[in-house]
Amino acid sequence: MNQTIGQTRPTSLLYLDGVSVSFDGFKALNALSFVIEPGELRAIIGPNGAGKTTMMDIITGKTRPDEGQVFFKGEIDLTKKDEAEIASLGIGRKFQKPTVFESHTVWDNLELALNRKRGVFPTLFYRLTAEDRARIEEILVTIRMSSRRDDLAANLSHGQKQWLEIGMLLAQEPELLLVDEPVAGMTDAETAETAILLKEIARTRSVVVVEHDMGFIRELGVKVTCLAEGAVLAEGSIDFVSSDPKVIENYLGR
Amino acid sequence: MYRILQILFVALCLLISAHVVGSRAADDLGVLVDQLGAAKLSDMDDRIAALAKTGDAKVIPVLEALGEGELYQRKSDGKVFLVKAGGADLQLVDPVTGADAGATPKAAMQKVKVNNAVRRAVRSALGGLTLFSEDTGARLKAAQSMLQTPNADALEAIETAIAAEKDGSVRKVLVEARAVTLLVSDRPDDQKRQAIALLAEGNGRNGLAVLTSALATADVSLKPDIEAAIARIEQTQAFWSAGQNVWYGLSLGSVLLLAAIGLAITFGVMGIINMAHGEMVMLGAYTTFLVQEVVRNSYPELFDWSLAIALPLAFLVTGAVGLAIERGVIRFLYGRPLETLLATWGISLILQQSVRSIFGPTNREVGNPSWMSGAFDLGGLTITWNRLWIIVFALAVFAALLFLLKRTSMGLKMRAVTQNRRMASSMGIRTPWVDALTFALGSGIAGMAGVALSQIDNVSPNLGQGYIIDSFMVVVFGGVGNLWGTLVGAFSLGILNKFLEPYAGAVLGKILVLVLIILFIQKKPRGLFALKGRAVEA
Amino acid sequence: MITSFLMRSFDRSILIAVAILVGLAMLVPALNLLTAPDHPLHVPTYLVSLFGKYLTYALLALALDLVWGFCGILSLGHAAFFALGGYAMGMYLMRQIGARGSYGNPLLPDFMVFLNWKELPWFWHGFDMFWFAALMVVLVPGLLAFVFGWFAFRSRVNGVYLSIITQAMTYALLLAFFRNDMGFGGNNGLTDFKDILGFNIQADGTRAALFAASALMLALCLILSSAIVRSKYGKVLVAVRDAESRTRFLGYRVEHIKLFAFTVSAMMAGIAGALYVPQVGIINPGEFEPGNSIEVVIWTAVGGRGTLIGPIVGAILVNGGKSIFTAAFPEFWLFALGGLFVLVTLFLPKGVVGTAGAYLARRRAQRKAQADQMPDNLAAEPMAAE
Repeated sequence: MNQTIGQTRPTSLLYLDGVSVSFDGFKALNALSFVIEPGELRAIIGPNGAGKTTMMDIITGKTRPDEGQVFFKGEIDLTKKDEAEIASLGIGRKFQKPTVFESHTVWDNLELALNRKRGVFPTLFYRLTAEDRARIEEILVTIRMSSRRDDLAANLSHGQKQWLEIGMLLAQEPELLLVDEPVAGMTDAETAETAILLKEIARTRSVVVVEHDMGFIRELGVKVTCLAEGAVLAEGSIDFVSSDPKVIENYLGR
Repeated sequence: MYRILQILFVALCLLISAHVVGSRAADDLGVLVDQLGAAKLSDMDDRIAALAKTGDAKVIPVLEALGEGELYQRKSDGKVFLVKAGGADLQLVDPVTGADAGATPKAAMQKVKVNNAVRRAVRSALGGLTLFSEDTGARLKAAQSMLQTPNADALEAIETAIAAEKDGSVRKVLVEARAVTLLVSDRPDDQKRQAIALLAEGNGRNGLAVLTSALATADVSLKPDIEAAIARIEQTQAFWSAGQNVWYGLSLGSVLLLAAIGLAITFGVMGIINMAHGEMVMLGAYTTFLVQEVVRNSYPELFDWSLAIALPLAFLVTGAVGLAIERGVIRFLYGRPLETLLATWGISLILQQSVRSIFGPTNREVGNPSWMSGAFDLGGLTITWNRLWIIVFALAVFAALLFLLKRTSMGLKMRAVTQNRRMASSMGIRTPWVDALTFALGSGIAGMAGVALSQIDNVSPNLGQGYIIDSFMVVVFGGVGNLWGTLVGAFSLGILNKFLEPYAGAVLGKILVLVLIILFIQKKPRGLFALKGRAVEA
Repeated sequence: MITSFLMRSFDRSILIAVAILVGLAMLVPALNLLTAPDHPLHVPTYLVSLFGKYLTYALLALALDLVWGFCGILSLGHAAFFALGGYAMGMYLMRQIGARGSYGNPLLPDFMVFLNWKELPWFWHGFDMFWFAALMVVLVPGLLAFVFGWFAFRSRVNGVYLSIITQAMTYALLLAFFRNDMGFGGNNGLTDFKDILGFNIQADGTRAALFAASALMLALCLILSSAIVRSKYGKVLVAVRDAESRTRFLGYRVEHIKLFAFTVSAMMAGIAGALYVPQVGIINPGEFEPGNSIEVVIWTAVGGRGTLIGPIVGAILVNGGKSIFTAAFPEFWLFALGGLFVLVTLFLPKGVVGTAGAYLARRRAQRKAQADQMPDNLAAEPMAAE
């Protein structure tokens, strides 16, 4: 497996090879390897404790792997960088629990996320330009929240917070978007809308979605990777993966 | 048996002296004593030495009286008497026979003059004489005084005493005293060499001074021996002083452990920043004070038990206060650690001021029971009983707590609640009660620490403030949520502190330790024994 | 760029506060100097100094609020920055005494003569010049905060851990300044000042001028803080406070963001200390007492953290209360202060200003909603559906 995966590194957007990490003896990831191509929308499924969140922690620099390689765009070694650097490189992350800045307005949330210089002094003397204003307006339309721009994020519903967070990720203009359980706690209508939104987003960038909701994944209709016990169990179309006996045993149940 | 031998020895001595000086002994003594009265101050040394040489036990009261200024000379005939103060007249006592010699008006008598030089001579002469006292304690004291102020004249007396001495500890001191005295005498060099070798073997607190002064005056041939012996002693002393530092460090560590161990529960296990923790210690100390007051006034015979009575009471009192604080304030602030910090700081101010209003701002007297006073020597170490007991107590509390947390169902519940509150609650554990009891337990342990700390610290309303920063440092340094970390943290900080002190001084040493901890936390923000994994992130 | 940065700071409440402070800076000295002592509006000099002291406390609370209220860093070391600024000013004032000290040494302050020192320690050089001392007033606390924060924020020491180590830092400084051989007057600190910039420090005119300087400096720092808080950087600060790791994943270097606020805040605290010392006439190691830092926190909490006016109101309220209380029932001040800590955290987490602000905002929203409903009922309906 490592042989074949090694050749794909130069052309890949995200490349993980033999990544392992353990906490106090518990192996959260066990020689995990997979590759995301530029422009790809990928779904990742797996039972609780399969290492999905840990994998995201490693890609975004929150956790350092004990061993293994993680490369972005074929040559940038992510294991040597911290969260802020990785975010500036163009990797965005949406948390499992919606995390927005509750004491800021929807507009300010997006303004903060906007892909501009993020140092102390640029932000201190920042002035909202017409271009930035237009960009934020555009995102507000995309996430269907134009009418709520001046509301505090704390007053949004759960689903709206999820969307606002996705909007913030769009403002970040990442090349790779990691999305952790975007439809957890959403109504069916909201779920369907979110699927459309994500597909829209995936037209211009790569997206990795971690999700439990099989219906949602079917709706996305993309390549699926199933993780279990910190390693890849199966990879392929949703129908291929969901008929794999190991996947049924480990995850879907009989 | 020992007693009989002693009496036999005294009898033997008397027999010999009787044989040598014959029946004139009593008269002789009288003459010698009378000469004291006539002597000039400059001659007194010789007169005292002559008296001491008789080795007669009757000389002791005479010399003692001389030192105290209670020896008088009768103006009419120059006879010298011991004097007992009695009204306007002086009661005379014959120095030789000890018989009453009637009363005389003060004007008829003249005090025998003494100055400091005379007093010194009296003391050293008495030292030689008391070497043969029947009381072991008195002999030990005499031997120690000979060791500290070596006097060549006493050498023979010491040697006689060694031959006669049966008590091991006195004998040991005497042998050392002989060696020290020998060096200042005019004995032959090979004897001196032996003495030097002997001094080099001991831990040499006195030997070093004697050897150093002997180095200046000694024969050239002896000098290399003395130098080698000095080097040897210094090495031994360095070893023991390192040992002493470790001991002081352990002692400080046990105090830190006691102060921090309650915090290891409330902060370490529950994550509550209790700034009133020090005041729990203070309340424990005041409980001890109250218990001792009652005991002193009503049951003085129970005084040695006062700490044992205070311990459970302090636990209950501070535990109850802790329970009230948790139920009244802290439970509304779970999940808001910074607010908890502020509210408990406010509580600490209130507790301090309450105690100040009730007991006054000054230190209160808390006594040491007899089994905690005094000290004993272990090799070159001096170990005080109270410090030793506090180390034992700290370890006992630690062990008991460890047992409680790991082996009882209450401990299991506590750990369950702190690890996963929701899950524990759905398993039927009444989490609010577990919180309250855990906090009360931590507070109660702080109170018990207060009982122990009342033995070595001033019991005042500010007692707790001195410990709060140190205890947080210990818990954070050791690693939050890990009792063993607290143990290791307390003792390593204690020892580190005591090893820095000789080089940097007490205050600078403490500053250095604080700076080191601050730097350490930068390196390992979760402490020495950090918990890892996802649970920590939350 | 700078002007637009500062212009942004003025909203209504800040404008009012600045106007009040500038007004006080003129009015109080005028009432002190220009009215006769028996005039009903006369402000006695001791009150001028007392109010001046409150204003320096208010500045200290404002500095703490910048990091605690807006960035969630509960520093228990701000009294240390305050004291360092105070010592820098105290060293200048000591050097101004010159040969007028009791030992009459033109170069060495009295305590050094007393300790038998022969020459001025190197770190006392330059403090005979006001500009140098003024520079040190901001540089020394700023540098300490920068170095301390650099290490702490980089290793992600936060929350109560940070509070505890800032407290340890203060404690270490307290112990250090108590030592005679540190060269800062040990236990007794620096005192017996004679004059400042050539003016007698005891004179009414100097006292009034110091008051005015405190008020104006507070106004200036208020404008600066407001500008910081209202900039995008200020929004990032709040973002760090509310969701630190989210901010990180957006690409902000949280440690730099925190470090800037911490350093600026420490500098402001240093300025407050420097204005405090000439008005109370002494600086000693007691100012490093960990309890002092925590007291600053309660001023800020009472007034309302996360608002800029709050800490100023809180510092003046609590200290005014303290002055009245300690005179009337000295026994009970600590009970009152302790109770304040508990009650404010339990029942008034937003503080006086924050609670009042929230109340006013709710009233305004209600009135607006009523006004909206009147002309156009239909327009409000989609809102309700959400």
